[in-house]
Amino acid sequence: MASSANEDVKGSTGDEGHNSETKDEEKKDDSIFECNICLDTARDAVVSLCGHLFCWPCLHQWLETRPNRQVCPVCKAAISKEKVVPLYGRGSTKQEDPREKVPPRPAGQRTEPEPGTSFPGFGFGDNSFHMSFGIGAFPFGFFTSTFNFGDPRPAAAAHGTHQHMEEQFLSKIFLWLAILFLTWLLMA
Amino acid sequence: MANIAAQRIKREFKEVVKSEEVAKCAIKVELLNDNYTELKGEIAGPPDTPYEGGNFVLEIRVPETYPFNPPKVRFITKIWHPNISSVTGAICLDILKDQWAAAMTLRTVLLSLQALLSAAEPDDPQDAVVARQYKENLEMFQLTARHWTSMYAGGPNVNTDCDSKIKRLVDMGVDDHQALVALSSYNWDIERATEQLFS
Ligand SMILES: [Zn+2]
Ligand SMILES: [Zn+2]
Repeated sequence: MASSANEDVKGSTGDEGHNSETKDEEKKDDSIFECNICLDTARDAVVSLCGHLFCWPCLHQWLETRPNRQVCPVCKAAISKEKVVPLYGRGSTKQEDPREKVPPRPAGQRTEPEPGTSFPGFGFGDNSFHMSFGIGAFPFGFFTSTFNFGDPRPAAAAHGTHQHMEEQFLSKIFLWLAILFLTWLLMA
Repeated sequence: MANIAAQRIKREFKEVVKSEEVAKCAIKVELLNDNYTELKGEIAGPPDTPYEGGNFVLEIRVPETYPFNPPKVRFITKIWHPNISSVTGAICLDILKDQWAAAMTLRTVLLSLQALLSAAEPDDPQDAVVARQYKENLEMFQLTARHWTSMYAGGPNVNTDCDSKIKRLVDMGVDDHQALVALSSYNWDIERATEQLFS
């Protein structure tokens, strides 16, 4: 399981039998997810801004024990309840709701990604740009897919199936839409 | 929650036993009861100090609130050091008080105590008499600390001059520890030590 490089790093003292050694290594693999307070696998895990991992109940009790001196139990950097990040591993939702335990774990903060910067050189904003693009591109997209009757499409469904009928129906709608659009263009 | 203390000591105990410091005989931990609340620690006197060659035994009491509060540690082996009481073995060390952090372990505590033996802090003393001697007459302090190490910690450096002075006081009917304390406190001036003992 552990790579040979890992084994080198871990370098056990070698007195024990091989079996106990492998077991040891498996344990050490887990140990990076150990809470720095109870030394057990972290439950309701939170991480401080300095990067140290704890169970939330453990860290909470530490902060309660010394309300006037809130420091990281590992590196003594300043920490606070508001500035710890909860870790949600996959499958963590199966565990019981952490809010039912006292104290509740602080929630994760989720900021939306920053919107991409618009092109100031064009002289118009995001909205109008999208609008014009939409009107310009969409109908022609319909054209290409609707009027390509000659090309055999690779994933065309077999005749007679339900899916085939649906596709037929859809392409008819698109055809009518395209015709309507064309007439609208001619009238305008 | 009391359970977390026992759980942790159990884990730490394994960690210390496996640690390389144990392999080098620098530190040692022993359990004294089944519920992991009382332990016996041992540290080797660091090299190039008056404590070199000595072995110092510590009493470790684990509070129910461990690791949120530090373990209570004191020296059982009598020692001459500015930050350790020569009478009670009480230790003045910040990490055993307000600088304690919950991620510290028995191993880090023992290593910190070993470091304290290498680097005394006479400006924050536990034993005022020792601290004064350390600041006023470092050589006298080192001689005294070395002699305490030989008497109580199995240190190799027996000072025959000190030994004979103690013997003279013991011959007068004084307990040998009392004689050592009096002589140590008066820079091995036997007249002043006698005066203090019999006044
Ligand atoms: Zn924990
Ligand atoms: Zn930290």
